[in-house]
Amino acid sequence: MQIVVDLNRCQAYAQCVFLAPEVFELHGEETLMFMPTVPDDQQERARRAAAACPVQAILTGEQAGPGEW
Amino acid sequence: MPPDTLRERITDYANRADPYPLYAELHENGVTRQNDGSYLVGTYHEIAALLHDPRISSDSRHRTDPETVPRIRREGQSMAFIGLDDPEHDRLRRITMRPFGPPHTPHRIDALRADITRICDELLDGLRDKDRIDIVEEFAYPLPVTVICRLLGVPQADVPRIHAWANDIIASLDVTPGRIGEHQLNAGVEAREAMAEYLGDLSDRRRTAPSDDMLSALVHDSGPDGPLTRSELMANATLLLIAGHETTVNLITNGTLTFLRHPDAYRQLRDEPELMPRAVEELLRYEPPVHLLPQRTPVTDVEVCDVTIPQGAPLILVLAAGNRDPLRFDHPDRFDPAREDNQHLGFGSGIHSCFGAPLARVETQIALNALLPHLEHFQLAEDPPPYRRSPILRGPRHLPITRTSGT
Repeated sequence: MQIVVDLNRCQAYAQCVFLAPEVFELHGEETLMFMPTVPDDQQERARRAAAACPVQAILTGEQAGPGEW
Repeated sequence: MPPDTLRERITDYANRADPYPLYAELHENGVTRQNDGSYLVGTYHEIAALLHDPRISSDSRHRTDPETVPRIRREGQSMAFIGLDDPEHDRLRRITMRPFGPPHTPHRIDALRADITRICDELLDGLRDKDRIDIVEEFAYPLPVTVICRLLGVPQADVPRIHAWANDIIASLDVTPGRIGEHQLNAGVEAREAMAEYLGDLSDRRRTAPSDDMLSALVHDSGPDGPLTRSELMANATLLLIAGHETTVNLITNGTLTFLRHPDAYRQLRDEPELMPRAVEELLRYEPPVHLLPQRTPVTDVEVCDVTIPQGAPLILVLAAGNRDPLRFDHPDRFDPAREDNQHLGFGSGIHSCFGAPLARVETQIALNALLPHLEHFQLAEDPPPYRRSPILRGPRHLPITRTSGT
C-alpha cells in the first residue's frame, strides 16, 4: 500500500499522526513526515488516517508513483 | 416565517428533533440579524471563512453586552483555551496538547484502542439478554465517560460525582440567557468550581505520586512554554472532562439512530466494518454532536454576504447548517456513508478545531463497529426519540430500542 500527502493542502491538524503514529510523524509543530510505503500491519491505521484528514490531503492506493503508465 | 426569528425557532425545544428545515431557511437567507441583535450564519463557505478569520474572537469579553454570554465562572478564575484568542489560546492549547498528542505524545490515543474495545465489549455483554435497551444510558454515555476519566486519571470510584457535576454544567449552557433560571445558572457555576477543585486536588496528588495518566504528565512534564499554573490546569482539565462527557455521547447515539433509520447502510457497515471510518466522517456531517458555536464575536465590523456584523455583536455559527449547505455538498440531506468529498464542519475548523477529535473518532469507530452486530433484531422504540434540551450539544436524551424477534 502506498500513500501520498498533498503537502500544499496539509494544514497540520495532525489527525493522521494520532490515528497512525507509526506511519505519520510531526517534526516540530507543523512539518509532516510519512512513510510512502505502508507496512502491512499499519494499513488499516493508514486508511483511518486518510479518512480523518480534515482537508483530505491524503491519497491511498495499492500503487502510487511512477511505473504505472 | 420571518428570518429574524430563526434563532428563537432553533432554540425552541419543539424543533430539537428536526432542526434541518430551519437550517434550510438559513441557507436561503444568508447572514441574518436576529430580533435579539445576534447574527446567524449557516452557509458552509461563510462559516469556514469566519472560523479562519482573526477578526472573529472566541473571547466573550469582546461582547458589547456581556449579558449575551452565559456566565460560567467567577471573576479572577483562569479561562480555558476554548474561550480565548491567540496568542494566549495557543500557549494553553499547546501545553495541554503535550501529554495528549503529537508531536510530543503521538501514541497516547492509539494506545487506548485496546482499552476502548474492552470497555465496549463489557458494556455490550451486559446488554445481551435484554429486550429493551436505552442506548444513551447503557452504552453511548458510559463509554466516553469511562475513557475520558481513565485518560485524565480520575479514579473509577469518583466517576458518579463527576457525572453529577457534568449534568449541572450542561443544564446551564442553554443558548439564550434568560431562558433558564438564575438558580440553574448558579448550579452550573458551582458544579464547574467543584469539578475544577476536584481536578486541582487530584493533580496535587499526582504531583507527589505520579501515574501514567494525562494529569500526571501535565504536572510533571513541562515543555518550552513551561507548565500550566494550578488555576490554568483546573480550568483546562475541567474543559476536557466536560467535553469528554457531553459530545461523543451524541456522536455514538446519533450514529446508532441513523443506522437504525437507514437499513441498507446498516447492513453494509455491519458486514464491512472497515468502511466505518468514512461512515463516521459522514455522521459528523449529517448529524454532528455540536450544532452551533454561540460564543463568537467580531472585534471590528465585519462584512459577510453584504451584511455588516457590528463589532461586539453575538455571532452564532451554525455548523450543522453548514454541513447541509447545498452549495457545498451534493445531496446534503442524504446519509451517504461512502461520501467522497466530505470536508465537514463536525469538529469546527481553524485554530479552535476540536481538541478531542481523534479520541472521538477512535471511540465512535470502535463503538459502532462493536454495536452494529447486536442491533440485528432491534428496532427504535420511538422515532424521533426524546432529545436533550440543548440546541448546541444536540442529541437524544434517551434512545430506547426494543427486540423484534425471539433470537
